[in-house]
Amino acid sequence: MNPLKIKSLSKRFGGLQALDSVSFNVLPGEIVGIIGPNGAGKTTLFNCISGFLPFDSGSVILFGQSVEGRKPYQIVNLGLTRTWQLVKPFFGMRVMEAMMVPSFCRRALRKHSSKKEMRENVIKILDEMGLGEKIWQEVDNLNQGELRLLDIARALVTFPKILLLDEPFSGLSHKEIENISHVARNLNSQGLPVVIIEHRLRELMKLVQKVVVVSFGKKIAEGSPEVIVKDANVIKAYLGERRTKIGLA
Amino acid sequence: MEILIIGAVRGALYSLIAVGFVLIFSVGGILNLAHGTYYMLGAYLTYIFYTLVLGAGGINLLILSVLLAVLSVGIFACLMYYILLRPYIHSLTYVMVMTLALALFVSEVMSLLFGVSGTSVPSLIEGSMTIGGVKIINQQLILIPITALILPSLWYFLKRTKMGQSIDAVSQERTGAILMGVSVETATLITTGLSATLAALAGALIAPVSSVVPEMWLFPLIKAFAIAILGGMGSLVGSIIASFLIGYAEVLSSFLINEQLTELVALVVIILVLIFKPSGIMGYKLR
Amino acid sequence: MNLPKKSRFSLKNQSPFGLAIFVAMAVFSLLSDNIFYIEVLKVAAIYAIFAMSWDILTGYTHEVNFGFAFFIGGAGYLSGILNSIFSFSPYVAIPLAALAAGVSGIFIGYLTLRLKGPYFSMATLAFASILFKLSFIFYEITGGEEGISGLDVFADDPTKDFFVAWGVMLAVYLILTFYAQSKHGIILKAIRADEDATQSAGINTAYYKIEAFAISGFMAGIGGGVFAHSQMHIGPTMLSGYISIIVVLLAMIGGMGTIVGPLFGAIALTILNEYLRVVEEYRIVIYTGILILLIYLAPEGILNLKFVKKSRILTFILLGERKPV
Repeated sequence: MNPLKIKSLSKRFGGLQALDSVSFNVLPGEIVGIIGPNGAGKTTLFNCISGFLPFDSGSVILFGQSVEGRKPYQIVNLGLTRTWQLVKPFFGMRVMEAMMVPSFCRRALRKHSSKKEMRENVIKILDEMGLGEKIWQEVDNLNQGELRLLDIARALVTFPKILLLDEPFSGLSHKEIENISHVARNLNSQGLPVVIIEHRLRELMKLVQKVVVVSFGKKIAEGSPEVIVKDANVIKAYLGERRTKIGLA
Repeated sequence: MEILIIGAVRGALYSLIAVGFVLIFSVGGILNLAHGTYYMLGAYLTYIFYTLVLGAGGINLLILSVLLAVLSVGIFACLMYYILLRPYIHSLTYVMVMTLALALFVSEVMSLLFGVSGTSVPSLIEGSMTIGGVKIINQQLILIPITALILPSLWYFLKRTKMGQSIDAVSQERTGAILMGVSVETATLITTGLSATLAALAGALIAPVSSVVPEMWLFPLIKAFAIAILGGMGSLVGSIIASFLIGYAEVLSSFLINEQLTELVALVVIILVLIFKPSGIMGYKLR
Repeated sequence: MNLPKKSRFSLKNQSPFGLAIFVAMAVFSLLSDNIFYIEVLKVAAIYAIFAMSWDILTGYTHEVNFGFAFFIGGAGYLSGILNSIFSFSPYVAIPLAALAAGVSGIFIGYLTLRLKGPYFSMATLAFASILFKLSFIFYEITGGEEGISGLDVFADDPTKDFFVAWGVMLAVYLILTFYAQSKHGIILKAIRADEDATQSAGINTAYYKIEAFAISGFMAGIGGGVFAHSQMHIGPTMLSGYISIIVVLLAMIGGMGTIVGPLFGAIALTILNEYLRVVEEYRIVIYTGILILLIYLAPEGILNLKFVKKSRILTFILLGERKPV
């Protein structure tokens, strides 16, 4: 069964067609990148998939179940977790407390037999993210890179069967990006399908197996990174009529 | 016929109160829960100036008292803004709590000074007129021409004068206005004064024919809010229309159903609008 | 790795300061002969119940409830009516009234789910004002201006009466502290910080918001009922904007979001209010003035002051929080 099947997804905002019949699939264990110029509709896509935005037509099938009409928290409990373009920290709490929040969702509660086990899992995730030292720090004291890692760590506490990351590299240094790429690759190698929206193409292309390109709400290309960077339509969408190599560097 | 005129009077009264309320919210981001207090002070201060200070000597002194009262309220409002609100203006919670506490405080002071039973203020224009076979009290009637004079002047001020335009700019697009060099502080200060004087004027004018009691701040505030959300929190025209809508709704319900229910109209409006259509009739986005 | 134990409910995690307040009040009442002082403490205890109940919703979600009189007066009147007209014992009437308050909390919580900031606050104010107006419209049942008198007390002895209030206050304090430290409190804090992110964590935020509203209403209802019967009278003041804003101020000055803060604020300030009876004529004005001054000086509340938060000792004594090294 495919983790995610998106068919003819459309969403209109007043006069703007934000998504125009977008279709693509995420295969088991795949790591997919979604790219496109600013305003192409990528985050709208995520919002529709994760239940934060109702869509006009089309279908989103998650492991065989339609997510249409479901609330965001219900979709999380079906196994799809997403992070946000801007970090969403839980200010006013400690890291450990913030990590406990997703552990209270139905899905996580089901996967655990005791509170102790849950706590140990949370600590394990924090360690893997490199945040183990910060466990009792106030969230307000973390830097941008750490907050991003915390966002992803929180996402993992929900035991996702598929993970959606919205611009996880934005605002980070090279080293921090490498760190997160490493984390994503690790998760994927354990079998977790990951979908990543990104603008940092160089780093993204090294990470993903398949790329979907969106422009003005339409999917204009889909394929492996090597193929996509040479695709004329993609280059045109990003750079206008001038022909320039994006390159894999 | 009676309904038509009384409704118009109410609408006029409410629009004087509501316009200021909406203005200070869209310009300063201040939900001023002491707005009803300005209305109340307009009434009480008129009495104080006329009876106690100036010595109750005829209509000219009465008009002077009204003007003094309105001016004092404006100054009072500016002082309150400057001293109490400005330091924590970014926190909406603080603004709401502080203005509400202030309203309570002033109400208690009035209660202390004048007691719980009504204080009577003499009318500017005595007597009544008969229009279309219906007897209307003159003091209520003058609200209509006065409002008809003030609202267009306000519009002119906001749209044609330099100061007004900067205030208008801040209310529509704050960041843009700042980038254009508009002083938001000044704009907010002036708007505070303006908003308070309008409410005070309403209070001063209606005082002779309504009950001047220490609790008279609460319901005008509630009605102002009802009007604001009905008309859209950013829209002046919307609030004027909504003022008349609510004014007429109250008059109609009082005639057709039960007098006691009039006060509930505004409350029910608030609940219904907030639950079903938070953007109001003019369709402005919720802030 | 050396981790401090996660907060499970235990006496160890309680605020020493909070517990000290309870002990002090109890000891004083047992030892003192002065009925007047005991009465004052009784009223203070009830205001503490109000303030703590208010805090569990607003302190933890930061949506300011301006209509608390709805639960306080509503339950007070309901209990009074059940007692005076239907002859229910206070021990039955009060829980029933509180239950009704809790259910209305579910109802109002549901209706105001999507409202934020000023809109939420005004909606709560509107609900309370509607009830206020209704109490005058139906004056045959509610007694209008006069309210309802001649309600049954708990005991004839003022000290015993005090201990009923004290006991309820203690129960409310323990329950709310437990609730706040449990997953419910953590989720409310998360909702306060970022509701979308909390939804993204798989949490049904609507449920927890409504639940907090209901508990807040229920506890306030208990307080309202206890107040009515301890004063043997319930009047429109308990439905007025006055009581709503006083509760807000007491809780805020004490320190929102801590439960102990509102406990402290309510008791200290209510005692102050009584102290001011020496200038009875000006008492309300001075009292309200002082409250305004205090809010101006400490908008986040006394227990939330920066210098308290920075000091490990004070954080432990006042709030019961042990900061790990």
